[in-house]
Amino acid sequence: MFKKILIVNRGEIAVRIIKACREMKIISAVLYTDADKNSLHVRASDQAYYIGKSAANESYLNIPKIIETAKQINADAIHPGYGFLSENSQFIREVENAGITFIGPSSKSVEMMGEKTSARRLMKESNVPIVPGTVKSIETSAEALEIAEEIGYPIMIKAAAGGGGKGMRKVYNKSELTSSFDRAKNEALKSFGNFDVYIEKLIEEPKHIEVQILGDKFGNYVHLFERECSIQRRHQKIIEEAPSSFVDQETRNKLTTAAINAAKACNYSNAGTIEFLMDKNKNFYFLEMNTRLQVEHPVTEMISGVDLVKEQINIAFGEKLSIVQSDLKINGHAIECRIYAEDTENNFAPSTGIILHHRLPSGPGIRVDRGIDLKSDVSVYYDPLLSKVIAHGKNREEAISRLMRALGEYQIVGVITNIPLCKWILERKTFLSGKFDINFIENELFPLLPSNWKEDINENYENVIAILGALLKAKELELKPSKYQNSSSNKWGDLRYE
Amino acid sequence: MNDFVVTINKKKKNIKIQKEDNVLLDGKSFHVEYSKVNDYLYLVNIDNRVYEITTNRLNELNYRFGLDGHYSEVEVRTTLEEMVNDYLINKAKYAHHDSIVAPMPGLILKFTKKVGEEVKQGEALCILEAMKMENEIRSPINGFVKEIYLAEGNSVEKGQIILTIE
Repeated sequence: MFKKILIVNRGEIAVRIIKACREMKIISAVLYTDADKNSLHVRASDQAYYIGKSAANESYLNIPKIIETAKQINADAIHPGYGFLSENSQFIREVENAGITFIGPSSKSVEMMGEKTSARRLMKESNVPIVPGTVKSIETSAEALEIAEEIGYPIMIKAAAGGGGKGMRKVYNKSELTSSFDRAKNEALKSFGNFDVYIEKLIEEPKHIEVQILGDKFGNYVHLFERECSIQRRHQKIIEEAPSSFVDQETRNKLTTAAINAAKACNYSNAGTIEFLMDKNKNFYFLEMNTRLQVEHPVTEMISGVDLVKEQINIAFGEKLSIVQSDLKINGHAIECRIYAEDTENNFAPSTGIILHHRLPSGPGIRVDRGIDLKSDVSVYYDPLLSKVIAHGKNREEAISRLMRALGEYQIVGVITNIPLCKWILERKTFLSGKFDINFIENELFPLLPSNWKEDINENYENVIAILGALLKAKELELKPSKYQNSSSNKWGDLRYE
Repeated sequence: MNDFVVTINKKKKNIKIQKEDNVLLDGKSFHVEYSKVNDYLYLVNIDNRVYEITTNRLNELNYRFGLDGHYSEVEVRTTLEEMVNDYLINKAKYAHHDSIVAPMPGLILKFTKKVGEEVKQGEALCILEAMKMENEIRSPINGFVKEIYLAEGNSVEKGQIILTIE
C-alpha cells in the first residue's frame, strides 16, 4: 500500500481524506497557506507543508510548486479531493510524469470528460442521451446569438471546463445574452483558467439526479445507485439525498446502465459521478461527468456501506474492486445539508470571520464532515463550505427528522451560516412531498426574501431570545456605571477615560 | 434603566426587569434564571424549561442569538435610546442621497458608472468579485453618481461605502 499521500486540497474534504488515510495507516500530508494556518486539515494531518500565499492560484492551484513539494517529501500518491486541481488534466499528467500515483482517473479519461463539449460528443456516440445544444465551444457573442436563435430560448451558457455553478448563466432572451456571455467567460477564466463556454437548451423544471460509479483498472465497474441534488441555488447544491424518492426501480435500472456506459466510454477508473437532468416524465439527459469524489459522496456511503475514499485509494494502488454489483443494495435513506458561511437575508453574501464557538450535533444516524473547528479562519479566499451534516434513517421521514434534530443541536458562532435556511427547506411541504425540481429555491424562497421567510419562527423562541438580550444589556449597564453610553457610530468612544 | 425595547425579526418587544429573576415581557410576567457557559453560550431557564442560546455581540447595539438552529440578529435599546432612535429615523427620511455599501467583502473589479453619470433604478453601478463569483451591484434609486470612494482593484469590507447617489 502507499506509504504517504499528499492531499492537494483544504477544508472538509481534506479532513475526510485524512481520516481514510489514518484508518489505512497511510501517512497523510497536506498543504496550507497564510489564511489556512489554523485550519482543521492542518491540525488533523500527520504532516503539513506551507505552500504559499492565501490566493488559490499562488497555492492550491500552483502546479509546479505542488509537484516539487510532493517529490521533496517523497509522497507516493496525490489525492486531489474536489474542486481546485481535481479535474485538471495538465496537473494529472504532470503528477503521472513525476512518477507519483494520482488518486483518480487517468489524465486521458479526464480530458475526454473534463472538457464538457467533447464529453457531449462522446456521450452522443455512446447512446447516452444528452441535452440539445452545441458540442463545441463558442468564441464570440455573435456566434452565441446565432446558436441561441437556432435552438430557441431559454438557454444555458456553461463553462467548458466548469462545475460548481461557476461560469454558468441562464439566458431567457436576446437582450440578456451578450452581457451574460461575457460574465460567464470571465468567471470561467477566473475559476478554471479557461474561458471556453458552450450553450445548451434549458430543460424546464428538471430534477438533478446523478449516479455514483466505481471502476478499477481491470475494467470492472459497479454503480452505487443515484443521488438527488435538486435543492440548489445558482447551481450550487444545498441538500442532497440518496436514493431519490422520484426514481422507481425501472428508471433506476435505465439510469444506472447509462451511467456505467458513460464511464466505460472514457475507459474510466476510480470514483466518478454521472450527472443527469430528469424531466417530469422521467426522461433523463446527460449533463456532465465529474471525474472525482463529490461533495455529497457521504449520502451514498451511508446507504451503501461502502467507504468511497478507501475504495479510491485501493483502486489507485492497482487493486481490483472489492465489491461486485450483486453485493450492493440500498439500505434506508440518507440526506445531507451543506453548511455554508453565507447570509441568506443578504443575498447569500459570504460571511467571513473566526469560529468563536462550535458544538457538533451527534446521536443516532448523524455524521458530520467538517473543515472547521474553534479559531478556524473563514476567509474570503476559498469556498464558503464549512461542513456537512448527514443523517441516515430507515426511510426518508426518519432521515429528515434526524437531520432537523441535528441542525437544532449544531451551534456555530463567529460567522453567519445557512443552518436556518436548511431547517426551513426541510419543513417545506414541497420538499417533504418529494415533488420539487432545481428551481425550488428560486420559486419558494426568493419571493420571501430578505426577511419574510422567517415569519413562522416560534414566538416562544423570540420571547426567550428577547429576554436574554435585555438581561445581557442590563448586566452590561451595571458593569459600566458611567451614565453616558457611547453609540457605535461615535468615533470618540475609543478615546474616553474609564 | 431597567426598561428595554428589543427588536427581533422586525417585531418590538418591551421588557422590564423587575427583579433579578423576574421580567415583564409586554406586560406578562416570567420567572427567569440564566447562567453563562462561555462567552458565546448561555443557559436560560424560563418557567422550568432550559434553553441553550448562543450569543455573539456584534457591536454596541446588536447581538446575534441562536436557538435550536434559528438565528436572529437582535437590537437591544433602553427605552430612552429607543425614543432617540425613532426621532433620528424620522429625521433621516428628509435626507437626499443614498450610500451604496458593499453587501459582502470582496474586490471591486470594475465601475460601470462614472462620477456625475445618470443612473436608473436597477442599473449596474459596479462589479464586485467575492469568492470567485462576479456580482453586479445595482442602484436602488434613480439619480446621479455623486462620489466614488474607491478605485478598481480595491478590496472592500462588508458595509463599506462604495459610492453615493444623489
